[in-house]
Amino acid sequence: MEQIVVIVSFLALFAFIHAKLQYELHMMQLNSYRNKRYYRWLRKYLFEQKRVVELIFCIIIALVFFTKINYATVITVIVLYSFLSYSYFSKKQKKPLVYTKRAKRLYVALWILTLTPIIVTAVFLGVSEKTALIGCGIIVFSFLIIGFANIILQPVEKKINNWYYKDAQRILKQMPELLIIGITGSYGKTSTKHFLHRILSEKYNVLMTPGSFNTTMGVIRTIREYLKPTHQVFIVEMGAKQIGDIKEICDLVNPKYGILTAVGEQHLETFKTIENVQKTKFELIDSLPPDGLGILNADYEYIRNKKVDNCKTLYYSTQTTESDYSVANIKYSKKGAAFNILQKTDNIGEFETKLLGDYNLSNILASVILAGHLKVDLENISYAIKKMVPVQHRMEIKKNNNGITIIDDAFNSNPVGAKMALNVLKNIEGTRKIIITPGMIELADKQDFYNRIFGKQISDACDYVVLVGKQITQPIYEGLVETGYKTENIYIAQNFTEASQHISKFVKSGDVILYENDLPDTYEK
Amino acid sequence: MKTNIGVVFGGRSVEHEISVISALQAINAIDKNKYNVIPIYINKAGKWLTGDVLLEVETYKSEEKINKECTEIIIDTHSNNFNLYKKTLWSLKLIASVDVVFPVIHGSNGEDGTLQGFLELKNIPYVGSNVLSSSTGMDKIVMKMILKESGLPVVDYLWFYDKEWHTNKQEILKKINKLAYPLIVKPSNLGSSVGITTAKNEEELESAVELAGEFSNRILVEKLVSDLQEINCSVIGNSDKQNASVCEEPLKSGDILSYNDKYTTKGGNSKGMSSAKRQIPAQIAPELTKQIQELAKQTFKVLNSGGVARIDFLINKKDNTVYVNEINSIPGSLSFYLWEASDMDFAMLTSELIELALKQNREKENYMVSYNQNIFSLNTNSLKLGKG
Repeated sequence: MEQIVVIVSFLALFAFIHAKLQYELHMMQLNSYRNKRYYRWLRKYLFEQKRVVELIFCIIIALVFFTKINYATVITVIVLYSFLSYSYFSKKQKKPLVYTKRAKRLYVALWILTLTPIIVTAVFLGVSEKTALIGCGIIVFSFLIIGFANIILQPVEKKINNWYYKDAQRILKQMPELLIIGITGSYGKTSTKHFLHRILSEKYNVLMTPGSFNTTMGVIRTIREYLKPTHQVFIVEMGAKQIGDIKEICDLVNPKYGILTAVGEQHLETFKTIENVQKTKFELIDSLPPDGLGILNADYEYIRNKKVDNCKTLYYSTQTTESDYSVANIKYSKKGAAFNILQKTDNIGEFETKLLGDYNLSNILASVILAGHLKVDLENISYAIKKMVPVQHRMEIKKNNNGITIIDDAFNSNPVGAKMALNVLKNIEGTRKIIITPGMIELADKQDFYNRIFGKQISDACDYVVLVGKQITQPIYEGLVETGYKTENIYIAQNFTEASQHISKFVKSGDVILYENDLPDTYEK
Repeated sequence: MKTNIGVVFGGRSVEHEISVISALQAINAIDKNKYNVIPIYINKAGKWLTGDVLLEVETYKSEEKINKECTEIIIDTHSNNFNLYKKTLWSLKLIASVDVVFPVIHGSNGEDGTLQGFLELKNIPYVGSNVLSSSTGMDKIVMKMILKESGLPVVDYLWFYDKEWHTNKQEILKKINKLAYPLIVKPSNLGSSVGITTAKNEEELESAVELAGEFSNRILVEKLVSDLQEINCSVIGNSDKQNASVCEEPLKSGDILSYNDKYTTKGGNSKGMSSAKRQIPAQIAPELTKQIQELAKQTFKVLNSGGVARIDFLINKKDNTVYVNEINSIPGSLSFYLWEASDMDFAMLTSELIELALKQNREKENYMVSYNQNIFSLNTNSLKLGKG
C-alpha cells in the first residue's frame, strides 16, 4: 500500500512536470523559439499569479516532506500537484501549441534536463522523498531549463534549417521561369498579397505564401510543400521583426519584383527607430536586379524620401496625383467603392470593388500596377477587382442571423488601420456602434501615446466601449476620459471571452460591433 | 521541374480500344520538354494500372502481359493531390504525384462525368469538360432539351423509357407517327453510333427500338434528315472564349456513319478516328462553314463545355438547313486532325488543353467557399435541431 501511494505521488509529480514544461514550450513557440523574445516576455510575467502560487505550493510540499511523512501528508502532496496540473490542462488556448518536429525535440530535451538531477540523486542517495523534492525544486525553474535546452539544441536546429534552406534553393533553381514577387511593408502586405494573387490568377498559375508564413522558414515550407511545376508566379510575403529578416528571405528567393506598401511605426520593441524599420523594409527593394521593378507607396514619408537606383521604380499614391499612379474620383457607397486609376494624368479606367476603406484602394492600386506590367488585360483586372473579397479578420464585414453586424478587424494592430476601421464604423448604418479592443501593442515607447490617441478617436465613433485587459488599455481609457466620454459606457473585461459574454447581454438587431485587434496568448492572463 | 501529366485511358466502355489509340496518340504528341507523362490505364475490369509498357501499342494484344508488367495503382482520398501509390508488403509506396489529369476515355465511365466527379472530389486540375457538361453531352436526350431551349437548331424528336415502350406501345406509336417517317432511333447514352438504326416504317421502327433498348433505358426517336450531309467541327476553349476548327465531312458507307466506318475500315483499328474516311476541309460554301463554326461555338458555350470537343451537324443539302446533332466532349483522336488543318499541331493542342485545365481549376478556386466554420461549435442557442 505504501508503495502505491509513493508511486501515485511520483505520477502526480510527473504530470505536473509535463504540464509545466508543455506550458513553457508553448510560450517559447509563441515567441518563435527565440530566447531573447521569450525572456523579454517573461520579464513582464515572471511574477504573475500562477508562478507565485506554484512557488508557494512547492514550499508547502517541501515543508511537508521535511516534517513528517505519512498517508495524510503524501495525499496532500498528490492533491496539490493534481491541482497545479489541472490549472494548466483546463486553460483554453487561443493559439494552441503545435507539436512540430522542432517542438518535439525541445520537449524531449526538457525532460532529459529535468530528470537528470532527479536520477543522479536517486542513484547516489537512493530513492526517497528527497528525490521527489528535487523534482519539485527544479520545476520551479522551468523557465531557466527551457532557455538552456534552447541553447543546447541550437546547433542541431541550425543544421536542420540549413538542410531545408538548401532543399528550397534546389527546388527554385529547377524553375528558372518562375516570376517571383516580394511584398513587404509595415501594414497592408497580407491584403496586397491576396489582391495581387486574385488579379494575376486571371492569367497565370499563382502561388502565394499562405496565411502568415512570412518568415524565412515559412517561405521555405511554402516552397517545399506547395510549389508545383505548374506555377508561373510566386508571391512571397516578407515579414520582419528585426534588421536583416527581409534580406534573408530575398537571398533565398531572389525576387524580380517588389512591392513596398508602408513604412510605419510597428514592432518598435525590436526595431527601436523608424529609420531601422525603413532600412529593413528597403532590403526588398535593394535586392531587386537591374531589370527588376520596385513598386512603392509614396504616401509614406519614409518611402518617398529614400532614393532607389538599383532598379526601375513606380510610385503610387491615394493622396496626390503627382505619383506615377494614383486614384481619383473615389465614390463610396453601401456596396463598396468606385474609383479611377490615373497614370500620371491619363485615366486608365474606372474600377469597382466591394471592399471598404482608403488603404484597401491603396493595396489594390499596387496590385493593378504590377498586373498591368505583367500583361494582364485591363478587362480581366477590372473583373478581378469586382470579385475581390476582404481577407479574413481584416475589415471583414459579417452579418449574423440576429441582425447584428460584425466588423472583424482582429488581425490589425496599427494606428493607421485602426483609425480607418473606426472611420468605417462611424459611417456604417446601425443603431449602436460598439467596439471591443485590447488596443495596439509592440509599439514600444510610443504604445501609450498611440493608444491614447486611439481612445480619443473611439470616443468620436462609438456608443459603447469594451476594453480587454485593464493594465494594457489604461491609456485608451485615459484618452476616452480626456474627451469627456461617459465612463458608464466603458466596460473593462479581463479577456475576450468575458468581453463577448458582457456584450451578449444587451446587443440587439441593428447594432454594429467592431473587433479591433486580437492578442496572442502571451499577453493574456 | 516538369509538370506531371496523368493520362487516364481505357476504361469500362464499349469504346475501350478507341480510347487506347486516342491516348497513345495524345501521349506521343505531348511536349516532353515541358511535361512528363504518366500513363494511367483502366482495364475493362476497372483496375487502374501504370507502367512504361503501356506506351507500346503491342502491349494491349495480351492482357496477361499488361497484368504482369504493370503496377496496380492505389489512390488515396486526400484532396488537392493526385498521388499514385503501390502496395508493398508493409505499406503504400508513392510512385508518382500527378499535377494535371488528362482523361482520354470515350463513352461511359470516362466521358460522361463519372471520372470528372472523382477528379472534382480530389480537387485536381483536369483537362476537358466538367461534370455537368460531360454528363449532359453524353446524354442525347438532355442535350437536345438544353439546345432546343437555348434556341439552337435541333431535329424534331421525342423520347420515352424502354419500359414504357413495352407496357404502353400503342400510345407511344401514336406520338411517333405524328413525327412521320423516316425516323432514326438512338439509345440516349452511347457514343460511336452503337445501337442506332433508321426506320422507314412501323415494322422497322419496332426492331430499331428493340435494339436501342438493349443499350439504354431511355430511347430517343428523331426525324431523319433527308438529303443528308454530315459535317463536323471541333471547338477548343472554355465558357469565356471559344475557337472553332475547319469543318470536316465524314464519308459514309451506309445511311449513317456506323461504328465500322468510324473505327474499323482498312488496316484494322490502329489509327482510330484519324484514319476514318473523311474530307478535310469539307467541300461546302464559305457561308455555310461560317454558320456551322458559329453554331459549334454556341453549342460548346451553352453546354458549358471545356477543353476540346467535336460538334457533329446534320445538313439538309437541298435547302442547306443546319441541325446540331451531338457533342463529343472527348472526341476520337481529340480531333487533332481538324486542328492540324487549322494550323495547330497536336503538341500545341495538348499544351493548350493543359493550360485550359489549369485555368479552369484557378477559376474554381476563386469561387471556393470556406468550410472552416463549424456550426456545431458556435456558442449560440439559435441552433435547434429538427427545425429547418
